Amino acid sequence: MSKAPSPMSWRRGDNIAGRPWRGRVRDYDLFKELVIGVVVVGLLVVGLSAVFSSPDDPGVTLKSWATVAPSDFIATATAELGGTSDTAAYGQPYSATPDATQKLGFIDLQALSGVRIPIDTANDFVLTPLKTLPTPPPALAIWSAATAQEQTKWTSDYATALAAVTNGDPAHVAPGDYGPVPALTGALLTMAGSGNLDGVLQSGGQPYNLNYTPTILFLGDGTYFAGLADAAHLTGDQWGVMNETGNTPGQSWLWLFSLFYQIPPFNSSPNADILVVAVMVGLSLLLTLLPFIPGLRSVPRKIPVHRLIWKDYYRNR
Amino acid sequence: MRGLLSAASPAISQGIYLSWGAVSIQLGNLIVIVVMLVLFILALVLPFPGGKSRK
Repeated sequence: MSKAPSPMSWRRGDNIAGRPWRGRVRDYDLFKELVIGVVVVGLLVVGLSAVFSSPDDPGVTLKSWATVAPSDFIATATAELGGTSDTAAYGQPYSATPDATQKLGFIDLQALSGVRIPIDTANDFVLTPLKTLPTPPPALAIWSAATAQEQTKWTSDYATALAAVTNGDPAHVAPGDYGPVPALTGALLTMAGSGNLDGVLQSGGQPYNLNYTPTILFLGDGTYFAGLADAAHLTGDQWGVMNETGNTPGQSWLWLFSLFYQIPPFNSSPNADILVVAVMVGLSLLLTLLPFIPGLRSVPRKIPVHRLIWKDYYRNR
Repeated sequence: MRGLLSAASPAISQGIYLSWGAVSIQLGNLIVIVVMLVLFILALVLPFPGGKSRK
């Protein structure tokens, strides 16, 4: 006895989903499939990960930076002290620097975030860490007693003098009145070289070192870290979003996102990030709303790839 | 600078990159993409297993 379909049932009508199955039937063990699926896929994941997983390159630290590229460290510390580094001028969420944010017309999402992680580069990256030393350098007192104009002049003059010598070597800087800046940056270099600065910047006074933001910002302000990324093809203008170090396959599915960073007007725009994100949001909406867009939703009818996939079915229609 | 950094950080492998104008692709990524395309084409042209006997 067959039960008549309800008037609300999707089984109404004579479509293929509403017809009773008249083909062969056979037993099916869902548990067996689940076990095989988990075990086989698990073994494949573990085995392939062991062979093809991401390379475990050594991390870049303030210690390794100070050891390998001390001149770049000194130049960056001087910029942090003078408030002229990229971090100091980044705007939200680190500072309220005017006109620093990326905008899409009148939309300024970066400014909307507010200064949630306030960073005063001179204090947070240089002065406060030096104060934690068992014997803080006497230059700290000279810096604190100086006026803002004096501090700006010292750091500006020292940065210019560093840029004028080969490889920015502080040992060969022309004599001049740089105030306590050489002593402060030199002490910070020694502190970083011993590994203390990594710990002080990451801990933020807490017992566990979980906050890497200050370290990464400080590293990012120099040319050493950027140079490493450049050499490994990891920067934005090198399709770096897609890449891993070495020859390990990276995130190739981000090709479209990465493509926009390579072409005008995005590759020369100061608002590149917000522009690329906006384009990707627009394209994602287009894909999501595809069934409702006349013309685009008819593409499968004009390019019937599905007929190629289910060719047996369409051949017998 | 790059030479100095390369000498200073031998642990980071440089990788093999192929470039055509603005396009630059890592060899590993290219192999993965080519394999995906080949699998897609095979999925299009190869019959379903047991497809011949299906009604």
